[in-house]
Amino acid sequence: MHVDTLHAGRPAAIALRRSRAFNPTLYAFALPATLLFVVFIAYPIVWVAGQSVYTKSNAAEAIFAGLGNYRSVLTDPTFWIVVRNMALWGVITIPVQMLVGGLLAYFIERHTNALRGFFRTMFFLPVVTSVSVVSLVWVQIYAPYYGIAQEYLKHVGIVMTNSAIGDPKTAIYALIVVNIWQWTGFSMLMYIAGIANLPSEVLDAARIDGARGWRLAVHVIVPMLAPATKSLLLLGVIGTLQTFPIVHLMTGGGPNRASEVFGTFIFKQSFVLGDTGSGAALSVIVLVVALVLSLVQIALLGARLSPAAKGRAS
Amino acid sequence: MATLSIDRITKRFGALTVIPELSLTVPDGEFCVLVGPSGCGKSTLLRIIAGLEPINSGRILIDGVDMSGAEPPERGVAMVFQSYALYPHMDVGRNIGFGLEIAHTPRQEITARVGAAAEKLRLSSYLRRKPRELSGGQRQRVAIGRAITRKPKLFLLDEPLSNLDAALRVGMRVEIARLKAELASTMIYVTHDQVEAMTLADRIVVMNGGRIEQVGTPLDLYERPANLFVAGFIGSPAMNFLKGRVTACANGIATVSLALGSSVDIPVSSPVEIGQEVTLGIRPEHIPFSVEEMSGVFMAKASMVEMLGSDTFIYVRQGEENLVIRDSQGRRARTGDRIAISFPSTACHLFDQAGLLISAGPKENIAAQPSARAHGKAS
Amino acid sequence: MRTLTRPALRSFVIHAVLFLVLGIWMVPQVYMISVGLRTPAQAFDPQLFTWPVTFQNFATVIRDNPLGGIFLNSLIVTVATVAIVVAVASLFAFACAILKLKGTMFLYATLLTTLMVPLASLVLPLAILLKNFGWVNTYIGLILPYSALGVPFGMVILKAFMEDAPKELFEAARVDGCNAWQTYWHVALPLVRPALVFVTIWQFIVTWNEFFLALIVLTKSEMKTLTIVPMQYSGLYMANPGALFAVLTIIAIPLILLYVLVQRAFARGLLAGAVKG
Repeated sequence: MHVDTLHAGRPAAIALRRSRAFNPTLYAFALPATLLFVVFIAYPIVWVAGQSVYTKSNAAEAIFAGLGNYRSVLTDPTFWIVVRNMALWGVITIPVQMLVGGLLAYFIERHTNALRGFFRTMFFLPVVTSVSVVSLVWVQIYAPYYGIAQEYLKHVGIVMTNSAIGDPKTAIYALIVVNIWQWTGFSMLMYIAGIANLPSEVLDAARIDGARGWRLAVHVIVPMLAPATKSLLLLGVIGTLQTFPIVHLMTGGGPNRASEVFGTFIFKQSFVLGDTGSGAALSVIVLVVALVLSLVQIALLGARLSPAAKGRAS
Repeated sequence: MATLSIDRITKRFGALTVIPELSLTVPDGEFCVLVGPSGCGKSTLLRIIAGLEPINSGRILIDGVDMSGAEPPERGVAMVFQSYALYPHMDVGRNIGFGLEIAHTPRQEITARVGAAAEKLRLSSYLRRKPRELSGGQRQRVAIGRAITRKPKLFLLDEPLSNLDAALRVGMRVEIARLKAELASTMIYVTHDQVEAMTLADRIVVMNGGRIEQVGTPLDLYERPANLFVAGFIGSPAMNFLKGRVTACANGIATVSLALGSSVDIPVSSPVEIGQEVTLGIRPEHIPFSVEEMSGVFMAKASMVEMLGSDTFIYVRQGEENLVIRDSQGRRARTGDRIAISFPSTACHLFDQAGLLISAGPKENIAAQPSARAHGKAS
Repeated sequence: MRTLTRPALRSFVIHAVLFLVLGIWMVPQVYMISVGLRTPAQAFDPQLFTWPVTFQNFATVIRDNPLGGIFLNSLIVTVATVAIVVAVASLFAFACAILKLKGTMFLYATLLTTLMVPLASLVLPLAILLKNFGWVNTYIGLILPYSALGVPFGMVILKAFMEDAPKELFEAARVDGCNAWQTYWHVALPLVRPALVFVTIWQFIVTWNEFFLALIVLTKSEMKTLTIVPMQYSGLYMANPGALFAVLTIIAIPLILLYVLVQRAFARGLLAGAVKG
């Protein structure tokens, strides 16, 4: 009777449905992700950790060096330049990007109407511009005689003898400017999502309480954007440690390693000098630093990575 | 069409036992309503019947076959969810026929059956629309359509009307009653609204704290509630409960002295201990009263009167005791009036200290006017 | 006709400031196009704009370079990666959020560590791994590592969206007789469409612009992706910034154009979580 219409000849499917709760083949859903992770992430990490305790210079022989690689890396003055650069990078780019991005997001979201989409898109364009294109254009901009940076700085009375990126004292800062230029749009987008997420009733209540304009922004909106800020902080720290293309393409880490960062340092050690031992040691150090900083942030701040999800710890 | 047999099931969520051993039989073709306050376990029970929740012990039998571990489609159940749970990205037609689609029913048959269901529910012109374009009542009908198209053995409805506004609810109640007549399926309906229960059910199951308090026809529950809980749950406004003590018991009649200040004689089926604390229950609509002074009849002051047009509610407050009287005959009592109230023994229910019914009088026509002679006396 | 009210004035000022900031912000990109349109004689002028414009540079670089083939490389690698990431991440998110399989939360947390690992730490072993597989200078040598790197982000977003979806819908699917796959395909995926769009677009952007790994893995010039060729052009066209910038413009345009086209869907996906009050 009607029973047949429900089970029109599919006993196999019924069997699957019956044991749906404990069917091990369901783990197939999780398998591809796990497999990719194990092969391309987990294994390399393990490899790098293992490799870092050997010295091997292109030869087949691996000499167990214990912590020798680490020692040589940590005593290398370049390492400390890198640490300084990375600290500067993080300390400058993250707050500046947040501030500018936040301001842009605020004004675009709350004070524009027809042009909102236009502004959102335009400010995000640098993010989608290929980093190698960005790098080379900015090299030209910074060029001392024919670059337009010089042209405009002339009006402020600054004369560059060297390209900003050619001067060891200013190189890293010049690179930081480029990074800020490219990535502020991303912070803006995260804050746009955060602002759109604000429950309008809370804002209405605040307005009734008398908070408007500036005060509303500072005392209500900014605190309520804390989740977005935390996410940006977490992503910013990770992103800082990931920096490679801009530096590689614009200064190569120079002049005289003045603008060296972790990425370029590892690149040089491993691929240019062929010293996989110290390259691996560096990789491990960066990895540990990244993990520690991330975990500390998550533990202290409960930062999460998804911009839209409500109240979830990553 | 199927018989449902629930055999001593228990249900725990972690350390919390929500249903401590429950048994129930629903015969073929019955419209059975599970009713009770929030958290009483009625929705959980429905989900257990559906196969959405596993049980910790006991059995579920459908048509005599043990389906305790079976998935919903194997049980032949269809369900109308409280929030309708319509697939937002599918149009109405596909929503209704989706179960058939999954079962690989031939396309023509799907179209035919969906068309028939839509026709029956007056949805034929909405088949291409998406759920978000429909009103609450229309979505409701789509959810019902989805369920009936599958020709289920058991038709389960989880508070289908609670998301509708009051006016719509009345209309949909009629629809469901009509559906009930047409389908002749075994239907199990969950609600917290006792009006829905009373109007739709063949039998009502009153639940509280995971237990069944009473099972019976609506009239059974109204006239012969087994305990205080059922008595207070069925009927709106709720039954009045008055504290009292048995002062005498002879010849099958117990005399109860009320804290309110009156005393009533009530027939009881077995002897009652003298001095026992009891609760007297009487429904607001069964309390005769008069605004004229009557000697020998219990008098009280109307502390508040609410006039609703068709009904008037008179509130009496005496010390700790509260009484509500429903007046459908417009006798124009006003706040502050002294009124004569009597408690006809045929309308009184007596409950012992544990809340169980000791007696429930046979129901005859309740006299409109109190009289000192046959009914309660002023103490 | 009312004179400018204060709110109107404020709006005008804000718009003006925004345009000003935008103008400054766009200078590098305007400069890039502008230099691309210059004759060699004017290429070194430190001006933002020069006149006249010439398309000669563009013609030359298009003619002299296999940009079409390189574009194809980027396209193949990116499209394949995006497809894999979306599929794999959604499958995993489904297993974690809806099927709630045992152990998936642990796996989820473990996979999350991928996001914290700097790529610099992984390039070395990845390069060797790929060499061992014989995947250097192949598409798959990039596609699979990219996928492994991209899945965690997608998985976070999709899991969050799936968890937000009303549970009763999945129960209705169960009552309708859907098995796990059917629930995934017919119910879960359509429900999180804005998130899928967002992940797709984001992964596309990220993959297209990836530099480090592509540099290591693709050494043969015909295999290179658009992101890494500028490097060699900077050497090639050192004396001719006009040509260099023309090539850079051509390289930058596809993604910019794509973004402009999809930005509304992208924003919608991003804000979809917002609307879910």
